[in-house]
Amino acid sequence: MNRLVEPDSGTVVLDGVDITSLGKSSLRKARRNMGMIFQEFNLIDRLTVLENVLSGTLGVTSSLRGIFRAFQGDDIQRAIELCERVGIIDHIRKRADQLSGGQRQRVGIARALMQQPKILLVDEPTSSLDPKIGREVMDLLKSITKEAHIPMLVSVHDIFLAKNYSDRIVGLQGGEKIFDQPTASVEADAFDKIYHEAS
Amino acid sequence: MTNISTIANPLRVPRDVYRRYAIFGVCAVIVLTVGKDIIIDETDWARMGTLQEMVKTALWFLPELSFFPKTVGPLLETLLIALWGTVLAVVVSMPIAYLAARNITPIKWITYPLGRGLIVLSRSTHEIIFALIFVSALGLGPLPGILALATRSLGFLAKTTAEAIENANPGPIEAIQATGANPLMVFCFGIMPQIFPIFVGNVIFQLDINIRRASILGLVGGGGIGLMFAEVMQNLQYGRAGTIVVGITAMVVVGEFISNRVRVRLI
Repeated sequence: MNRLVEPDSGTVVLDGVDITSLGKSSLRKARRNMGMIFQEFNLIDRLTVLENVLSGTLGVTSSLRGIFRAFQGDDIQRAIELCERVGIIDHIRKRADQLSGGQRQRVGIARALMQQPKILLVDEPTSSLDPKIGREVMDLLKSITKEAHIPMLVSVHDIFLAKNYSDRIVGLQGGEKIFDQPTASVEADAFDKIYHEAS
Repeated sequence: MTNISTIANPLRVPRDVYRRYAIFGVCAVIVLTVGKDIIIDETDWARMGTLQEMVKTALWFLPELSFFPKTVGPLLETLLIALWGTVLAVVVSMPIAYLAARNITPIKWITYPLGRGLIVLSRSTHEIIFALIFVSALGLGPLPGILALATRSLGFLAKTTAEAIENANPGPIEAIQATGANPLMVFCFGIMPQIFPIFVGNVIFQLDINIRRASILGLVGGGGIGLMFAEVMQNLQYGRAGTIVVGITAMVVVGEFISNRVRVRLI
């Protein structure tokens, strides 16, 4: 979606801009508006939690500041507030590899929000977590994006999560869109159809 | 029931064992014939003298302690040449590693071969040859020695760094790319923290080796203790030569001790 993986065909349009046809530097500009949360968290293990969160600003920080990790004061202030919001304020000076899975995904969320994105792309956010922690992370994601009015696009395999956390569900099978409906109107057997036909 | 001793050991199939012995045998014959030719036939045994004379000559090399203070200056110079050569190599090796790492090189079919080529050039040539080139270009003194060491060790540093970059976890790199950061920032945040411990370990290793290399650069005019060593050997002052050898050994041992301590702590 943000062309970390190039699409085989089709177009991606965000705010009237065709992401798929952008050149390198305008793609970078477009990516600044898209926060991304990863299945494997993808934190920088050897840096502190706070530095990881601040790395969300790298798209708009000057290279010179970046090299010396000299982030701007108001960015740091905002990073601390975000850490508070996602519940990792006690750990901001720890190295990212010292945290548990759930905590690491919270750092990932704070980093994505640090970009002040227009949309949040969320790739299997709970697959590396146990179910309980996964639901906590989803609760957090949902409430934060509601507060900040950021639309969120989540890919999941877990029907329970899809039904309970989304407003709209798009079903994909073998690269084809099978249905696209508001969550409330998706019938129970629609999921059965997808999974049974596949197996 | 199968008796366990009747099962053939798969590591000791007779045919393989005989083949292994045959290879060892051929190697031994080659080494011995070559050795007879170049060691026994080509050595002037008469010139070597009796055992007594050999011991006497060796005793000439007993260190002359009164000469020691004069070696301190050149030894320090040697250390500084090694240090500066390593620092320069570190600086130059970073961009070369960037070119020679397959996963981040900017234009794969131009910059990757370029980076690899520079590494091979640096690694395949002896530091004495580089020193000869720089001495003839810049004249005598420590500077050509420093440059020779830098060109010699930047290949190793660039190669190991490039390999560390290739083995880096792509996850954090993608995460930084996803923020819209430029390639320099992706390098500083996505890659640098991952390769840092490996890189520092290799730098210390090169510094350690460069102390050894620096001690012979003086033989070709590259500064340091080597020049003094060449002088005293030419003047047949073997006692002084012995002092220098002891000094170099002490310096290398101390350097190795320190570098081991630092590397163990890093890993």
